[in-house]
Amino acid sequence: MTSDTRVILICSGKGGVGKTTLTANLGISLARKGSPTAVLDADFGLRNLDLLLGLENRIVYTAQEVLEETCRLDQALVKHKQEPNLSLLPAGNPRMLDWLKPEDMKKIVGMLSEQFQYVLIDCPAGVEDGFRNAVAASKEAIIVTNPEVSAVRDADRVIGLLNTNDIKPVQLVLNRVRPKMMESQEMLSIDDVTDILALPLLGLVLEDEQVIVSTNRGEPLTLIGSQSPAARCYSNIAGRLQGEEIPLIDPSQEGNGLGDKFRRLMQTKIF
Amino acid sequence: MAINYQNKKICFHKDLGKDWHREFEDLIIKKDERAIELDCGECKLNCYDIDYIKTLCIDKNIEIISLVSQNIKTIISASSLGLNTTLRLNKNINKNTAELAYSYKDIHNDKSTKFHKGTLRAGEVLETNNDLLVVGDVNPGAKVIAGGNIMIWGRLLGIAHAGSKGNTSASITALQLRPVQLRIAKKVARGPKEKPEEGFTEEALIEDDIIVIKPARTTK
Repeated sequence: MTSDTRVILICSGKGGVGKTTLTANLGISLARKGSPTAVLDADFGLRNLDLLLGLENRIVYTAQEVLEETCRLDQALVKHKQEPNLSLLPAGNPRMLDWLKPEDMKKIVGMLSEQFQYVLIDCPAGVEDGFRNAVAASKEAIIVTNPEVSAVRDADRVIGLLNTNDIKPVQLVLNRVRPKMMESQEMLSIDDVTDILALPLLGLVLEDEQVIVSTNRGEPLTLIGSQSPAARCYSNIAGRLQGEEIPLIDPSQEGNGLGDKFRRLMQTKIF
Repeated sequence: MAINYQNKKICFHKDLGKDWHREFEDLIIKKDERAIELDCGECKLNCYDIDYIKTLCIDKNIEIISLVSQNIKTIISASSLGLNTTLRLNKNINKNTAELAYSYKDIHNDKSTKFHKGTLRAGEVLETNNDLLVVGDVNPGAKVIAGGNIMIWGRLLGIAHAGSKGNTSASITALQLRPVQLRIAKKVARGPKEKPEEGFTEEALIEDDIIVIKPARTTK
């Protein structure tokens, strides 16, 4: 499985745009579709991929112990209970930032590549050492950005850096899309963003309150089989990543269908 | 003889006497060629010397095709007077001269337009002393700097600085000119707020001491 393992870096430059949420949901979706998937938290300074996946209390060893060779890789990997195809390799303590080298990161990813078909790397925000380490180990990348000027600017900078590091392909996920604001042109439109970044659009993720709820519970939306807008978006992205042809959703049509209205009614839990 | 005529060239020898001017004149009078080459060997000739040679040749209606020398000072003097020069490097040349020769070469041969293909993304800076041609976009947050003109076959959405060495006649041309900031020589201007009409190439230049944006001219 080594050669055709897809090592995908999920990065954004700016913080808080949804890298970790996308990593968690994409990991679950890919695992659900039957691919052995590993998610690697490369954000050593501020790790929270384990929180999103609800695996915090099951972490015994981390990537740090694996590198120090005080434990085996499979001891450090945390297998998700409901989704056994998904494993998490947690980040070590924040001090790892001081000594971790790109070679160490490559070593970890190399080990994961032997067992998994997908390795998703949750990249830290910024373009400093943590980012450089994560880039060194990746083959392709997904850029997450919001329809905001600052997020787009940072994403642009990151794309430039990825290009110089020969990461290909680089695809774009536009997160937290609010159809109504886009329609009234209060928000950057999809065209505005793709115009500047000039990347193939892998998917849109609609703004969804359910994301916050699921984050706090430690249950990614895709795991609980939610039919909320964001959950559908995430599983569409996973499908496209595997080469399926799924048309992009049209934000202007979202929330107007009868089904959507019914679903919204269901979520209010009146019944 | 410090100067003689070999292989259709006038050759200067290493130890030129004080009266080489006389010698050169005698030699040149005898020649009936209309064009000559000069091989100055290792001789160090200053601008006065070269000017003397040049004036003499013009008087006699002889064209100097080129000047070959192993001495960098001679080359600089000659080229500053508008002669075609070639620097011939000695085999056992010392390091300093070699470096000088290269830096000289860089300055004088690198007048070519710098060409960049691809999008310049936020944070990237492209700088050159000459003209600059970019095929691709210059995104917001990116910066292009050129000693000469800037031409962008794409959109200019970042910062462009033309004539960075003080050339006020430099211009900035782009298919879509919507920069954050424009600079020409020492002038700075903010980009226009409204979106320009698509399909019109525009050009920014200094007019009456301010930077103006106009439809691009076809001729200069």
